[in-house]
Amino acid sequence: MSAKTREARADVEAATVEVHGVHKWYGTHRVLDGIDLTVRPGEVTVVLGPSGSGKSTLLRIINHLEKPEIGYVSVNGELIGVKRQGERLKELSERAILVQRGRIGFVFQNFNLFPHLTVLDNVAAAPIATGRLGRSEAQELARELLGRVGLADKTGAYPRQLSGGQQQRVAIARAIALRPGVILFDEPTSALDPELVGEVLAVIKDLATSGTTLVIVTHEIGFAREVADRVVFIDGGRIVEQGPPAEVLGTPRHERTRDFLSKVL
Amino acid sequence: MSEPPGVTVTFAEAPKTDDPPQPLAAQRVLPLRRPGRWIVTAVVLIVVAQFVHGLVTNPFYQWDRWSYWFLRPTILDGLLITLQVTVYSAVLGLAGGVVLALARLSKSPVLRAVSWTYVWVLRSIPLIVVLIFLYNFSALYQTLSVGIPFGPAFFSFDESRLATDMVVAVVGLSLNEAAYAAEVVRGGILSVDQGQHEAAAALGLPKGYQFRRIVFPQALRSIVPNYVNQLIGLIKGTSLVFYVSLLDLFGSAQTMGSTYPGDIVPLLLVVTVWYLILTSVVSVIQFYVERHYARGATRGLPPTPLQKLRTRLTDLGARVRREAAV
Amino acid sequence: MSTHFTRRSLIRGITAASAVASLVTGLGACGGNSDAATSTDTDKAGEVVVGRVSNGAANQTTIKVSEVEAISAELPAAVKKSGKLEIGIGALPAGFPPLAYVGDDQKTLTGSEPDLGRLVAAVFGLKAEVRNSTWENLFVGIDSGKVDVAFSNVTDTEERKKKYEFASYRQDNLAFIVPRKSTWNFDGDYENLAGKTVAVASGTNQEKILLEWKDKLAEKGKKLTVKYFQDSTSTYLALNSGKVDASFGPNPGFAYHNRQVSHTPNATRTAGTYSGAGGSLQGLIAATAKKDSGLAKPLADAINYLIKNGQYAEWLKAYNLSNEAVAKSEVNPPGLPLDNS
Repeated sequence: MSAKTREARADVEAATVEVHGVHKWYGTHRVLDGIDLTVRPGEVTVVLGPSGSGKSTLLRIINHLEKPEIGYVSVNGELIGVKRQGERLKELSERAILVQRGRIGFVFQNFNLFPHLTVLDNVAAAPIATGRLGRSEAQELARELLGRVGLADKTGAYPRQLSGGQQQRVAIARAIALRPGVILFDEPTSALDPELVGEVLAVIKDLATSGTTLVIVTHEIGFAREVADRVVFIDGGRIVEQGPPAEVLGTPRHERTRDFLSKVL
Repeated sequence: MSEPPGVTVTFAEAPKTDDPPQPLAAQRVLPLRRPGRWIVTAVVLIVVAQFVHGLVTNPFYQWDRWSYWFLRPTILDGLLITLQVTVYSAVLGLAGGVVLALARLSKSPVLRAVSWTYVWVLRSIPLIVVLIFLYNFSALYQTLSVGIPFGPAFFSFDESRLATDMVVAVVGLSLNEAAYAAEVVRGGILSVDQGQHEAAAALGLPKGYQFRRIVFPQALRSIVPNYVNQLIGLIKGTSLVFYVSLLDLFGSAQTMGSTYPGDIVPLLLVVTVWYLILTSVVSVIQFYVERHYARGATRGLPPTPLQKLRTRLTDLGARVRREAAV
Repeated sequence: MSTHFTRRSLIRGITAASAVASLVTGLGACGGNSDAATSTDTDKAGEVVVGRVSNGAANQTTIKVSEVEAISAELPAAVKKSGKLEIGIGALPAGFPPLAYVGDDQKTLTGSEPDLGRLVAAVFGLKAEVRNSTWENLFVGIDSGKVDVAFSNVTDTEERKKKYEFASYRQDNLAFIVPRKSTWNFDGDYENLAGKTVAVASGTNQEKILLEWKDKLAEKGKKLTVKYFQDSTSTYLALNSGKVDASFGPNPGFAYHNRQVSHTPNATRTAGTYSGAGGSLQGLIAATAKKDSGLAKPLADAINYLIKNGQYAEWLKAYNLSNEAVAKSEVNPPGLPLDNS
């Protein structure tokens, strides 16, 4: 299935994500060292790399949970977390950043569901709190989304009454409730027991076919090969190589990529 | 002492003794008999009975005078003062504590320092000193005014008219309570997982909503038990308000004890029973509030005492039937 | 928290703080009538009723007294202008009957001390306003001007003269109180205190006397143990439980106590009296005002007026305290010396 046919099925407008010259360091430790990346609308990008390579930091910079020291990110041409003032970039107000985040979904490794709210309220919270939908409309949407991730019967449960796989599916439903143009996945299956990985990947695969732009940090090479339009390999805070999965995973050009793949596979 | 001694494993049916011995693998293990536990239980029961008997029959306690004083208007007036001062101070103290805790957790070094200093000072000063200072505050500063700091005042008011004894007591206790509540609230907020803050931020939830609906309700799980502890201390702490010439429950009893020196002991017992009642009421409320905020924290809610009692009675019934069958 | 504390949240904090402030203001309105510790005079003009609701400590007596302009003219202008005399009593939380305590209606502050204050106020032509507080706040109250004068069984001492001025009005007789079943009696000779444990209030004239005896007994190789308690309630509890053999204090309070507990399991009796003038010094009870307030002289004049015209005797008689009368009120008489306080 090509990116074009996916776009036809999209129920939201898929977004373009551009990362421009992003550097990030903590003290003297360089985490990202000049990242440039463009993700086209509806494209599924899988980011691979050894642990500590900066993949998660890159994701967190895209939705401005972390600030880049140098460089900037734009989604559909709109700068994230900053605005242009003449020739300088100026920090945006907290409120404006929160509004921008509504257009970027984020799925955490540890789910981070709100444990004191029911599954339904977890999904309905953001549309209500941001004033996009009324309470009953938001709950209706939440029910529909929970149905889509196969949890229609769990609406009244609390997160800790669910398995890890079920929790992550709720988290995905929560992330798409705001109908974001792009969804970022930060190692969505790493905290799961092996037998629960499949159900979560199935939901992500379904999202991929719906035409939303996805950026996925994962160690599931098989999944990357099957779903990704593009694979990006990061090491030492730089993009080592990128391209179609068959190319990067099948015939890697770089020593470091080969090295990494031999350890993972 | 709610657990009956012995073993409380419940069997669906009693084993029959006249059956021929079954192979070992098919047998139930015979529960261990614990005669020591029975002896200790008996001794404890005898001591308790003796204590209760003494409490009832010893003329030292003068229970007839106790019943005279228990519902006297002067005692009930004192009780009302205790309740009023406690409720106002608990609410204001918690509100102040939330503000102080947020200031302490803010990124502004000035706010952090001010909050830290406040907590440090107020926790160091004895409550009695705070009360005595406040009580005489109106004499030291005759008027309070609202206006530009160090500049002209827009309007001012006579403080002695504003500061009744009740206000002085509530302000004094609240100032003190806020310092302790600040630490309780701060601890509660810090106990909320960092991931919760991140998830709320990543969803773009407005800042106020994040605090009110996501962070604070989870913080309450650790705030409630600690703050109730504070509250019980506060109920008894109100017995210091005689320092601002306000007679609470304990103060009323002490005053009456000097006028009626023959009734000192029954008066102290009246106060004790009232404090027992107040503390019990607070504990019951605590149980249900905690249960409310435990939603989602555990897989199932803890049973209410009534539910527990019912289960226990059912268990006991099964056990009696089983023992009878043996 | 991962994000900055912005100006908006600061403003929100300030709003919350001012909400707290306005709540406090709201409390002021509803807390107004809980101020039970202050009572205003309700007597008719020209007379003062003493010994009301005294729970058997006094005979209620109506005493005729009216303003003496020659004396009220001596008052400081501010007090005269206010139209009332703020009288301080330090009887919280426990009162000390029959001197100052809550009466048997279980709400009115009564006793010989506030009653004399009201008589004096009548001589001044002022309305008497009696404020009850703790002992500490009584003195802080005088310092801060919250009360004009204390009538509260305050002993005149040289130490206190550094900050206060006095007009004396009564002497005190001391006594030993013991449980009724005790066989011990005090015959006036300190030697029969040997081996005993006695409670006394610290900082008082009676403490000074008791400690003198303790030293004398020690010289002879005998032992007297002195114990201190926070208030009368704890003292009597210690007496009942046998922690102390006797308590040494002002006679009127003990007389009241004996009468009150005579039908209870904790009945007590007086085991002997001793003059407060015993030893080397006469302790005096005095009306106490802030130093240089200009109140001591009019206070002494008013008390002397009451002595001369018989109201003073009537007042003492109402409280069965006639044996504690003084011949005249003095301004700043010699008190307990500095090295004893």
